[in-house]
Amino acid sequence: MKRRALLSVAASLGASLAVGTLISGCSTNSPSSSGGSSGPVDLTFVSWDPHMDSIVNIWNAANPDIHVSLVVPSQGADELVTKFITQNKAGANPDIVKVEYQSLPALISNSVVVDIGGYVPDIASKFDASALAQVKFEEKIYGVPQDFAPLVFFYRKDVLDSLGLKVPTSWDEYAQVARAVNAANPKQFLGTFSGGDPGWFAGLSQQAGANWWSTKDGTWTVAVNDKASTKVADYWEGLVKEGVIKRDPFWSTQWSAEMNDGTLVGWISAAWAPAQLPNIAADTAGKWAAAPLPAWKAGDATTGIWGGAAMAVTTNSKHPEQSAKFLDWLNTSEEALAAQIKTINIYPAATKGRSLPELDKPPVFMSNQPDYYKMIGQIAPSARSFDIWGPNATLTFGAYRDGFSTALQNGTSLSAALTSMQKTTVDDMTKLGFTLSK
Amino acid sequence: MSTLQYSSVGASKRINLIPTLVLFVGAAYCILPVLWILIASTKSKSELFNTAAYLPSFNGGLWENLTGLFAYRDGIFLRWAGNSVIYAVGGGLLSTVIAASAGYALAKYSFRGSKLTFRLIVAGVLLPSIMLAIPQYLLLAQFGLTNSYFSVLLPLVVSPFAIYLCKIYAESSVPDEIMEAARIDGGSEFRIFVSVGLRMMTPALVTVFLLQFIGIWNNFLLPFIMLSDDKLYPLTLGLYGMLRVSGGQAALYSLVITGALVSIIPVVALFLSLQRYWRIDMLSGGVKS
Amino acid sequence: MTTATEKPSTVLDSDRRTSNRLLPPKRKKLRSSALPVFLVMPAVVLMAIITVAPAIYAFVLSFMGRKVTGGLLGGGTQEIFVGLNNYVAALTDSEFWASITRMLTVAVVGVPATLILATVFALCLDAKRARLTGFTRIAIFIPYAVPGVVASLLWGFLYMPATSPIGGGVIDYFGSTTIFFSVANIAVWGVVGFNMIILYTAIRGLPAELYDAAQLDGASELQIALKIKLPLIRPALVMCGLFSVLGALQLFNEPTTLRPLANAITSSWVPLMKVYSDAFVTNNIYQGAASALLLVALTVGATVVVNAVGRRLGKANK
Repeated sequence: MKRRALLSVAASLGASLAVGTLISGCSTNSPSSSGGSSGPVDLTFVSWDPHMDSIVNIWNAANPDIHVSLVVPSQGADELVTKFITQNKAGANPDIVKVEYQSLPALISNSVVVDIGGYVPDIASKFDASALAQVKFEEKIYGVPQDFAPLVFFYRKDVLDSLGLKVPTSWDEYAQVARAVNAANPKQFLGTFSGGDPGWFAGLSQQAGANWWSTKDGTWTVAVNDKASTKVADYWEGLVKEGVIKRDPFWSTQWSAEMNDGTLVGWISAAWAPAQLPNIAADTAGKWAAAPLPAWKAGDATTGIWGGAAMAVTTNSKHPEQSAKFLDWLNTSEEALAAQIKTINIYPAATKGRSLPELDKPPVFMSNQPDYYKMIGQIAPSARSFDIWGPNATLTFGAYRDGFSTALQNGTSLSAALTSMQKTTVDDMTKLGFTLSK
Repeated sequence: MSTLQYSSVGASKRINLIPTLVLFVGAAYCILPVLWILIASTKSKSELFNTAAYLPSFNGGLWENLTGLFAYRDGIFLRWAGNSVIYAVGGGLLSTVIAASAGYALAKYSFRGSKLTFRLIVAGVLLPSIMLAIPQYLLLAQFGLTNSYFSVLLPLVVSPFAIYLCKIYAESSVPDEIMEAARIDGGSEFRIFVSVGLRMMTPALVTVFLLQFIGIWNNFLLPFIMLSDDKLYPLTLGLYGMLRVSGGQAALYSLVITGALVSIIPVVALFLSLQRYWRIDMLSGGVKS
Repeated sequence: MTTATEKPSTVLDSDRRTSNRLLPPKRKKLRSSALPVFLVMPAVVLMAIITVAPAIYAFVLSFMGRKVTGGLLGGGTQEIFVGLNNYVAALTDSEFWASITRMLTVAVVGVPATLILATVFALCLDAKRARLTGFTRIAIFIPYAVPGVVASLLWGFLYMPATSPIGGGVIDYFGSTTIFFSVANIAVWGVVGFNMIILYTAIRGLPAELYDAAQLDGASELQIALKIKLPLIRPALVMCGLFSVLGALQLFNEPTTLRPLANAITSSWVPLMKVYSDAFVTNNIYQGAASALLLVALTVGATVVVNAVGRRLGKANK
């Protein structure tokens, strides 16, 4: 009792010290707009998509009453999530935020985002079940899915052709091709195993059948180191140890340089890759081709998902209805989806978006593969995710980055790193008070 | 004696080889990386990873990079540069004024609590406030004050080290006699501070300003924590953001390299031009024995 | 070891000595005037806001935690009092200690390198008939004006096999062991010039008569440098040592910038990164507050130790 009283005195002392002198001198740029319901409203929208501004401009030109201002962050998406949570209490969050699928549960759990089902009642009908599952929790809809990103295998067609190698359709073949590429030229590799991209590894595990999080009657089951994930980890550990697969993290300067100079002749990536490749490997334009992900069992078309994001309306927003309307337009209207496909190269989550004429033409970087989007369209229905993303998936992802990077660096076991991810995740969920099955 | 004289005259014409060589090696160590960035910035995107590291390119790569840099996201680089100037000049000036007045008061007056205040300031010197950057963020976030110019400037406007320097300097360079004479002439204490104190402390103030300026210009962690709107970013954070990938976006290396070059130039220029006024001996002045 | 970003710090005991030396023994300070209080007030109030208030707030937070209140996704959360749990968690977290060990490893490489190089350069600058000292002095100082982030970016490109002009293809600069040297090198590069200038000015401040006598006695320049100049600039050296140690504790920019390039650098590689990652990556501000306060305690401890060592060395010399 005494200690608590002391604490609250200390807290108010700290607070009043700060408030007393801060409030007077300054005005902050409070992101959420103020003012009544009448008159034009101003919404702030945080998204890191390049060229999103041009699409927001289309909306602003047509909707003088609901003006959207785009804010482009440069932090990692994970750090943004924490910032949104921290700022939530002070009411300082923007109206609309882009959030990766795996982080949405954390925002819901911290009451950062609101259910928008009431503002845009027909939203559920515009998505198929697997897209909707990413934003719908306990019958409430907490966001509008933007894109859908099934895993795809990208490879240098010219190199594989010249070596007389066929595109691998199973993971066994993938290993053989990796060996053959490296044997033909010891400085060339079919790919790299990235210790920096948990979403990528999660996608590979999803393909193998992993289910890191699932729930039943309000009880969570966490299985990060399940059989399927361990199988994936062991498979890649073998290739890395054999020396036929590199271990440079994706997105690193070194990796970009290797993609560009032909050291790397393959990349297991997702549908959005053609938007990124021009920045990564500009010199190799027109030499790449895309194929479905190699399978564990011959003929199995299952693939995983890497990335993809939804957009959500915050609790702090004073104009949730207008915000939801904007999101509805941005992610389900033909006009906006066509623009997003053209300028951001997304593969849309909305059902309507997948039959747009814009998808008849391949992305510029893949101009040698005219049916690129058609292939994605065929893959998409067989992409599976986990049942649900855990409420602390960002923590699990952080544990992946540290654990896998270290294991790759030291040549220790990747499945041991998986086990420690499992432990970190379970410990944290237990501490937070979630009910876990054991 | 005469031979000694002779030999020393002869010697003075010779180069003392070893120290000169050592300094040249040191200079090379310090300069070559900067030179590398100058060379790399002349290379276009496709040349960057494909041409010899120490050979500049003359195929218009520099121009392409510069125009690319200033055109990037509608010229946001210029805005970052402007922000850096606001943070560094604003923060530098404010902290210099605050340090000058506090240092002067602590050096020239003894008042209730002056000793305690000085001790607290020394303690502040030994505890870099960057250690508290995250608590500062958490506290400001409670009041919705993060993500603003204010949130970056506030923690920087008072520097215990600057106050300490000003106090040491005021003690040794503002003579009591002159202050006394000014008092006899009827000057108010405030006028004495402005016309005698500040004037005599000018060299120290320039140094303190420069130290603060460069500290803030180079600061990264604080804006990194406080800001999420990139319109408010200083150069360091903007460049880091360009290098870092956000949401699976590839970095823009040649632009980052050119941006790095452009961001060092003003600071180096400022230092070289203010070299005469900048009294770094002040720093060691306190420890001469 | 300081990142190029932070200001140097100072030495306690030298301050006392200075005030004793510079001021007349009878301090005649002035009568009642509101001015001094008025002049000191902004500094005191601002320091309270930017250090005391956040520290108090962090202290409060460090005893709290988050608990969900039912429902699948927690349905809302509340703050609860958790006592010393966050401290226990931090202190028993092997990563916390590992981050300190890594920071110390970088410091063990970087601090002596900074001090030795800075001293050697300063003595060379002061050597008779050394040439082009104006140029070399500025050249060595220039990295100080380069932000730590930019310096790391720059060295990152120099280390990286694809662009390395210094043998990155042969030497793995991002290996488990080499990474400590790679990080330390960036830090040393950034601050060696600044330390050199401080030491050089200290040497210049020594009375020239000291050397004349020695020179007449036939002492060589090297002997003068090592036996006369070096011991006399000891206080400045201690100060530089303190800057460097404080800088090592604040190591953040270099490893953070290098991280995307190197598997060897984790999100909690050094203590400040650990605090950052506790608060922002694992999304636990309470744990972050506790780690931040532990780091503060560590800093205070380190400062006291460096000062004590400096003072003891001083006594031993006299």
